Amino acid sequence: MSGARLDRMIWLALPAVAYLAVVYALPLLWLLGRSVTGPDGFTIAQFTAFFADPFSWRVMGNTLRIAFWVTLLSLVIGYPVAIAMARARGLMQVMLLVAMILPLSIGVVVKAFAWQIVLRRDGVISQGLVASGIWAEPQRLLFTEAGLIVGATNVFLPFMILPIYSVVKLIDPRLTEAGATLGASPFYRFRKILLPLTLPGIVSGSAFVFSMAVSMFVIPSLLIGDRFQTLATLTGRSYLLMRNEALGSTTAVILLVIAVSIVVLSTWLSKRVGRSL
Amino acid sequence: MPQSETSEQMSLPPAFLDIRQATKSFGAGKVLDGVDLAVAKGEFVSLLGPSGCGKTTLLRIVAGLLNADQGHVMLDGADISTKPPHHRDVGVVFQSYALFPHLTVAENVAFGLHAKGADKSSIQPTVARFLDLVHMSAFADRSVKALSGGQQQRVAVARALAVGPKLLLLDEPFSALDRKLRETMQIELKRLLRELGTTAVFVTHDQDEALIMSDRIAVMNRGLIEQLDTPDTIYRRPATAFALEFVGLSTRLKGKVAAVKGAGELLIDTAFGSIRANGNYLPGSEVLIGIRPERMAFGARDGANTVAAAIQDIVFQGSRIQTHFVSGIDEPFLLETGGELPPGLAPGQQVPVSWSIGDTLVYPAGPSA
Repeated sequence: MSGARLDRMIWLALPAVAYLAVVYALPLLWLLGRSVTGPDGFTIAQFTAFFADPFSWRVMGNTLRIAFWVTLLSLVIGYPVAIAMARARGLMQVMLLVAMILPLSIGVVVKAFAWQIVLRRDGVISQGLVASGIWAEPQRLLFTEAGLIVGATNVFLPFMILPIYSVVKLIDPRLTEAGATLGASPFYRFRKILLPLTLPGIVSGSAFVFSMAVSMFVIPSLLIGDRFQTLATLTGRSYLLMRNEALGSTTAVILLVIAVSIVVLSTWLSKRVGRSL
Repeated sequence: MPQSETSEQMSLPPAFLDIRQATKSFGAGKVLDGVDLAVAKGEFVSLLGPSGCGKTTLLRIVAGLLNADQGHVMLDGADISTKPPHHRDVGVVFQSYALFPHLTVAENVAFGLHAKGADKSSIQPTVARFLDLVHMSAFADRSVKALSGGQQQRVAVARALAVGPKLLLLDEPFSALDRKLRETMQIELKRLLRELGTTAVFVTHDQDEALIMSDRIAVMNRGLIEQLDTPDTIYRRPATAFALEFVGLSTRLKGKVAAVKGAGELLIDTAFGSIRANGNYLPGSEVLIGIRPERMAFGARDGANTVAAAIQDIVFQGSRIQTHFVSGIDEPFLLETGGELPPGLAPGQQVPVSWSIGDTLVYPAGPSA
């Protein structure tokens, strides 16, 4: 393709670039600016104050811990599903795909409220565990970290499954058969063939889910409440309830840095993995 | 349909691989209909047949990648029917090679040795030896993705052989290669397997490949082995009309037994007149006559079948020349000569053509083939 042709093509991206500049880049720059602006102009006092407060560290800890468990749970549940979906055929595959994609059309708020019902003291989970004798008496999962992790995993699971599914789809099923005829046990085949080959999918799926779980706002608001703060809920509260723009912009920037690092790190990681494959 | 000529099973040494009554259906379709196959140690047997004849299904059952509905697979005296593939000692070279894309050439060959927990110090020399056998030593540290088709095929063979399988299965391993390379690789592989004394079962739909490589060929059709014999016998004495048609070229004429003389001497009425042949048929039977094109010759001969036929085309094929005659049916009437044609032949000419009575193959006419 000639240089001139490429240059002309670039104009096609102009509407998108202009749109993003106005509604995304400008507010973001304003946010960045606000986080380093005090009554007397430029300052990093807001950051130093934030990092000096033990509460801030608890909030960051909450954010990363919840995101970590949601990502791990999504991976553990999603990985086998992705394999099954990629290897299924015909109607079975269609049904699995629909079962995964259809819930995406239900809003997060609706799902979170549904989980409120499920996680209640008299909810399905509690009743089930009592009936099976695991719990002695009904317990409330709602407004606990476990409840939040389970609910968030449900919402983000498709974003773990899809990248892994698309990677598995490209792997020749004969590879594991070849492994078997070479004397490799099923576990050895998984460890030495399937796992390394699906690693790029695992990395990008985890990056998706982690960055979404780090910044989720509605789900923790509804499933765990005000006593438990994450960077995202704190940012929201700062703006909406406390009218504290200084704190809000600071937490927003920290959240942004974390999310961007994840994207950069995972891109680097999957490139590295991709090269060694 | 006449049964296959497997009477020699009695006299052969005990079978190393013994498949008994292998049956497999997918849905309503019966893919294998009770297949028996015995392969001696060190033998190279091809499963030859059109796509859908069940040859790949049979191979996958022997490898343990597919379970038979019924029947048994015995290998080296043990029933391996219910064993998982990784406990069978059966190596497979896949059509797509199925090399591990995340590993180097040497790592691919070492895979099975590691998986089987081979002695660490023995792995490197074994890998080196097998890479050397397939002439791939220079590529040991390359990524398999950077290899050509022929090189990938060599690595796949080395990888399958390095673990020392009792039996090697090959699933159309040459089909992705171009013709010239394919012929080289066929002879190379055949020599390698003979040197190592490997017992091999080879699946192909390419009759030339089967004829070149095999000690014996099993001609498969519709989930059954129609004939199991040496390439020479398969070609010269096809047991069924299907084997005649599938292996090599032939002229096929429909006819009706007009008279039977003495010990199975037949007189058959055809579009080309009366033809003599040997066989056990009742007068009035509808039959199919087959003649290999190189068994035919120009000119009339005493004591042979002679017919008059009109030349349609003369096709020069380098080392051989094919003459097509007008046959009055869809299929050509073929004559093949190695050297030169009699002078002055031209399309449209009516000439006498002859072949010996012994070369006249007779099959019951039927929907088969």
